[in-house]
Amino acid sequence: MEKYQDSRDSGQGQSVSTTIFVASYEDVIVARQKVRELMNEMKFSLLDQTRVVTAVSELSRNIIVHAGKGEMTIIKYDESGRRGFRCIFEDKGPGIADIDLAMREGYSTTNSLGLGLSGSKKLCKNFSIQSTRGKGTRIEIAEWK
Amino acid sequence: MTFIGNEISSILSKNRNKICDSWKKQLIIQSRTLVELIGLNQVEKITQEISDSLIKAVKTINTHEHEDYKKLEKQVAELSREMSLRNITPTETAQLIFFIKDAIFPILQEDYGQNSIIADYILFINSIVDKLGLLTFQIYLESREELIKEQQRAFMDVSVPVVKVWKDIVLIPLVGMLDSSRTQLMMETMLSAIEDTQSKVAIIDISGIPIVDSLVARHLITAASAAKLMGAECLITGIRAKISQTLVQLGVDLSGIVTKTTLADGLQLALQMTEQKLI
Ligand SMILES: Nc1ncnc2c1ncn2[C@@H]1O[C@H](COP(=O)(O)OP(=O)(O)OP(=O)(O)O)[C@@H](O)[C@H]1O
Ligand SMILES: [Mg+2]
Repeated sequence: MEKYQDSRDSGQGQSVSTTIFVASYEDVIVARQKVRELMNEMKFSLLDQTRVVTAVSELSRNIIVHAGKGEMTIIKYDESGRRGFRCIFEDKGPGIADIDLAMREGYSTTNSLGLGLSGSKKLCKNFSIQSTRGKGTRIEIAEWK
Repeated sequence: MTFIGNEISSILSKNRNKICDSWKKQLIIQSRTLVELIGLNQVEKITQEISDSLIKAVKTINTHEHEDYKKLEKQVAELSREMSLRNITPTETAQLIFFIKDAIFPILQEDYGQNSIIADYILFINSIVDKLGLLTFQIYLESREELIKEQQRAFMDVSVPVVKVWKDIVLIPLVGMLDSSRTQLMMETMLSAIEDTQSKVAIIDISGIPIVDSLVARHLITAASAAKLMGAECLITGIRAKISQTLVQLGVDLSGIVTKTTLADGLQLALQMTEQKLI
């Protein structure tokens, strides 16, 4: 289910956010579509779209595979001179014990390619990860023009 | 303070027929389209059933065994689901519920107009009916979501076709999302096609796949090595420039697989590999 929130903050232009629950592969499709739609609307190039939507696919799938469920929030901002958006992937899953290790290309605890995290970092302009063992994981990516 | 739910319940119960009737009349006047869509009989049934449940529910709503209230909620949820399937807007459904107030308040006014307790009565009914109204919205959203998911599932469920394009060459064009269950299907289809037709080359065309992430990449790599085990070569075609650029950034290594940008190039290569020529 989606929640819409429209917050206009103190003269700093406006930001609009959308949250999508991520709990199944269908939700991954929805997450990808939402980001693609937004990027299309903001006139990002097709290459940019492919690049970022691929990362969105990786990070939302990680929520399902490694944490079971979580959510993605898209925050669009349009501030003086800067137009862009952030996607926040948040879950209350098991968390990651060693972030450096998890970020390493080819590292996977599920016998997969282990490219989701390292790849997403390379694909996005901005990438930050926070994770606490037993508490959950929060990953934020950002794109702007 | 004694619980006012009991009193309200008995007032409503005494006026049950009047409430149903006036609620129905409100709907006929104010919700013309809804009444036309679902019919007067249905409207009558809904008003009676929900009034009866409400009368029961207000009696026990503050106790731990508010089974009756749960039943009422269930009824309203069911109603909302049905309305959304019939393409009735969520506003109309919520209004349908809200109009019961217009049936109840005048009755309270009549009997208790001079009594200050009427304010409490109205607050009480208000909070229950408002909650039910919100519930109809929530259920509407949920049922829409279910519908979308169902459609997506149906879309993803298309079987994987295999085409024997030439002697010794099979083609598997993929469309949509390559999740694990579809990959399984693709592998099975491809492998049995290779076996049945004794083909030497399998071409997997991914032009119809919008996003190739590491999962799709892994599936393609697995498919290619499975084909090899059966003595066939696997070509991946339809990797557009944007996707191959992204794959490189992602760190996916497809160097072990023969790839071609277009299906035409792939077919040409396949013909060479099987020592055939286009006549
Ligand atoms: N949201 C998460 N919660 C808990 N652990 C995670 C989460 N995301 C990633 N991880 C851990 O980090 C590791 C690396 O993640 P990454 O996405 O790079 O690889 P993968 O998911 O295992 O494989 P791939 O994405 O290539 O199919 C995972 O194997 C997992 O142990
Ligand atoms: Mg991953």
